[in-house]
Amino acid sequence: MLTTKLLAPLLAIPLLGLLLAAPQTGQAASKPVLRVLAWPGYADADVVKGFERRSGARVELTIIDSDTALWQKISAHDAADFDVFAVNTAELQRYIDRGLVEALDQNAIPNTRRQLPQFRDLAAIAGLTRQGKAYGIPYTYAEMGLIYDRSQFATPPDSITALWDPRHRGRVLAYNGGTHKFSLAAQALGSASPFRLGAGDWPRAVERLIALRRNVLAFYNQPEEAVELFRQHRVALMYANYGMQQVRLLKAAGLDVGYAIPREGALAWLDCWAIVRGVRDRALAHAWIDYMLEETVSGLLVNRQGLSSTITTATAGQLGGRLLWLEEPEDVVRREKMWGSIVSGDRAEKVLAR
Amino acid sequence: MKLGIAQRLGLLLALIGVLASGLTGYYAYNASRDLLVKAAEERLLTATRVLVRQITVALDNTGRHVRLVAGHPRVAQALASTDPKVRAEAGGDLAALFSLILKTNPEYFQMRLIAAAENGMERVRVDRDEKGLVRVDGDDLQEKGHYPYVFNTLKLPADTIYISRPVINHEGGAHAGQGRPSLQMASPVYGGGKEALGMVVINLDMNGTFKLLAADLPSDIGLYLTNRRGEFLVHPDSEQAFAFDKGRQVLVQQQFPATAELLDGRNDNVVTTAQLESPQGGAVVAAFIKQPLKAPQQDAFFILGLTQPLNDVLQESDDLGFATLRIVLAFSALSVLLGALLARAVTGPLNQMVHAVQRFAAGGKTREPLPLSRGDEIGVLARSFDDMQQQIETQMASVQEKQSELDHLASHDSLTGLPNRRMFLDRLDHALARARRSGEHMVLLFIDLDHFKEINDRLGHAAGDVVLRAAAERMHGVVREIDTVARLGGDEFIILLDGAHDAEAIAHVASKVLECLAAPVSYKEEELRIGASIGIGQYPQDGGNATELIAAADRAMYQAKGAGRNRYCFAASAPADPAS
Repeated sequence: MLTTKLLAPLLAIPLLGLLLAAPQTGQAASKPVLRVLAWPGYADADVVKGFERRSGARVELTIIDSDTALWQKISAHDAADFDVFAVNTAELQRYIDRGLVEALDQNAIPNTRRQLPQFRDLAAIAGLTRQGKAYGIPYTYAEMGLIYDRSQFATPPDSITALWDPRHRGRVLAYNGGTHKFSLAAQALGSASPFRLGAGDWPRAVERLIALRRNVLAFYNQPEEAVELFRQHRVALMYANYGMQQVRLLKAAGLDVGYAIPREGALAWLDCWAIVRGVRDRALAHAWIDYMLEETVSGLLVNRQGLSSTITTATAGQLGGRLLWLEEPEDVVRREKMWGSIVSGDRAEKVLAR
Repeated sequence: MKLGIAQRLGLLLALIGVLASGLTGYYAYNASRDLLVKAAEERLLTATRVLVRQITVALDNTGRHVRLVAGHPRVAQALASTDPKVRAEAGGDLAALFSLILKTNPEYFQMRLIAAAENGMERVRVDRDEKGLVRVDGDDLQEKGHYPYVFNTLKLPADTIYISRPVINHEGGAHAGQGRPSLQMASPVYGGGKEALGMVVINLDMNGTFKLLAADLPSDIGLYLTNRRGEFLVHPDSEQAFAFDKGRQVLVQQQFPATAELLDGRNDNVVTTAQLESPQGGAVVAAFIKQPLKAPQQDAFFILGLTQPLNDVLQESDDLGFATLRIVLAFSALSVLLGALLARAVTGPLNQMVHAVQRFAAGGKTREPLPLSRGDEIGVLARSFDDMQQQIETQMASVQEKQSELDHLASHDSLTGLPNRRMFLDRLDHALARARRSGEHMVLLFIDLDHFKEINDRLGHAAGDVVLRAAAERMHGVVREIDTVARLGGDEFIILLDGAHDAEAIAHVASKVLECLAAPVSYKEEELRIGASIGIGQYPQDGGNATELIAAADRAMYQAKGAGRNRYCFAASAPADPAS
């Protein structure tokens, strides 16, 4: 009938309204995913976004703040949880030992040509190559010096023993990382090789670290956490695990701090990018490393974080003083176990029993 | 197809009806949908408030436990007595008390008394583990002075509460609490001096606490708790809770952008809708409340939120939508029906009138019924039409009457009333045609009155007219009904005899005519005598057509007149006279 023909569109108006009111369903994108494990400041949100835009992939970024956490995450589930990560040259060794990382293809990372000559020759840097294969691309480095409150120090502290100085009791901050806390203790004990504790060195090192525990206000993990503690508790001295990065953060927070390299020498780390054996998309992981070496990205390390980059001349070491590049310690697991016990508040006997 | 006015009117009414019910239904549905969502949001916000209140009460409760114990004289004794024996006894009593409190509060992981001296050495410690409660003693006690919950609490005045940030407990040897989301609530212990002697601290099992609180929530309600940075502590997807402890940043303001208002202090509650990613997925209605902690720390607060799937909320509104749709459809159908009825109501009488007019125009004799009794415009129209029809009929009748009069005048002689020459010739043609077809005979009597001129001259035309009328009347009286008597003009008449006649019968008719005309005619006391001469023509003997036949009869009449008048004469017996 003619009438129904004409009425149909009219009836359709309310029906259309009902349909339009129906909730819209979203659509899930299936992009390639790159799982990155990095340290604070290595891949800020804008950096990640830049890579996502360029590669069309989605980046799942996990931030770690200790070697222990890094080891646990990479070694868990047969190294299947991540694709690419940043690790220092000393730590990298146990990853290579256990076959958790795979050799890199330097040709797939053209930006390595931008790097300073001393970072391009991988074989010349201890720990990066093994049997001719490269396992890490240098990214950033820092020395772990002493940050001090200028108002509380007439002259800059010149020895790491200042961390144990009872005058600063309750106003010292140290990093909550086990492996090289023992190196620090060994340094304080005057050891020539802080990465090689002998059998007889352990009790003294533990004793030193317990003494440190008793002298500090707290142990921090993240740079921001340290800034907060520093400010709230009028901290005098801080062992700067993140180096100049922390100086910059504290200054940004309005604190008048100085930075000193102790006469024992500052432990220094060189972080490099490594690719996990279980990598899902090898090309994408190489692209990530290549992107990290872009001038804009690596430049942020210097300009924003106060870290050093491998493409511009150093900030670290500018102050002079001796740098002790981190080496693989004699027994990482033992060091970490003991440190866990120390930081939990155990007595020396209990720590040594671990 | 062209639509009639009634269909258009009906269609318009139906359209208006459908449109009105459709739009009303649509807007009613929208308005009530908004109301439903609003109501659901209110409900959710209220539920969130209740939950926040419960959490606050639970925290207050724990705070009371901590303060109660911190204020107990045995606690100060256990910390400060110079006599080791007294200290040990007090410690034993406190351990029993702690066990009691842990037993009655399953959401507590651990309760401890920590000294300010000896680098924050634990003095009394009872932990919960898988099997039950464990008193940790002797060499197993640990120094905790470098933990924020210790050095911060020791700086607080007496009878105040420290609430730590919720964290995953990584302290070694913490038994059941290790690696689990925990919250520390502590209060300093003062033995009368200016410096705190130590502190009492309870480790609260956050998951346990929330499990208890959220036990009454329906399964589709999502429970969220964040710290002051917006990092999730409780999340329906357990992977996203305490993500910061695993190195990932998962923030409430990313998943529910409206909560940014809570974090920057613009607002202390928000209700929002958000699109969630897996695993639950879909749109949800969410209510978030920011609740400050009653603790001395600066800007300490937590954000609690509840979500409900939008589909649940809209389920009711969908039901409502379908009900509305049904009503709309019913009313639309009604409108269509009403439109159709209206179209019919208007079309019926109009069609009736149209039929009547068509029939009238076609000249139908019977009249179509008209909707005369209606009181509306159609009734007026019908009545007007009826009046017009009657008027036209009356006028037509008079016209027809006049027409037949004129017809009569044209075909009849006005004096005698007999058919005139024109009509006679017409009839003659018909009769000839019939005769030719049937092969029958036909007869004409041509009559001329004798002495008529004399009467006319002597007595005037009036007398002549009387004579003519009488003659016509008499002749009409002697012939059959089917025969035609006509006046040709002057004193000439003619009679057409239909059918076959033999000479004798013809002679008989002619004699009767002569006889009837022989009788005198009275005119003003005077008897006028007339007679007639008759010529007889026969078809087919005397002529094949009207002219020949009349001419033959005419000649015969003259022959009769010549033979002495008052007689008849057959044309067949009279010789043709070429001169006449």
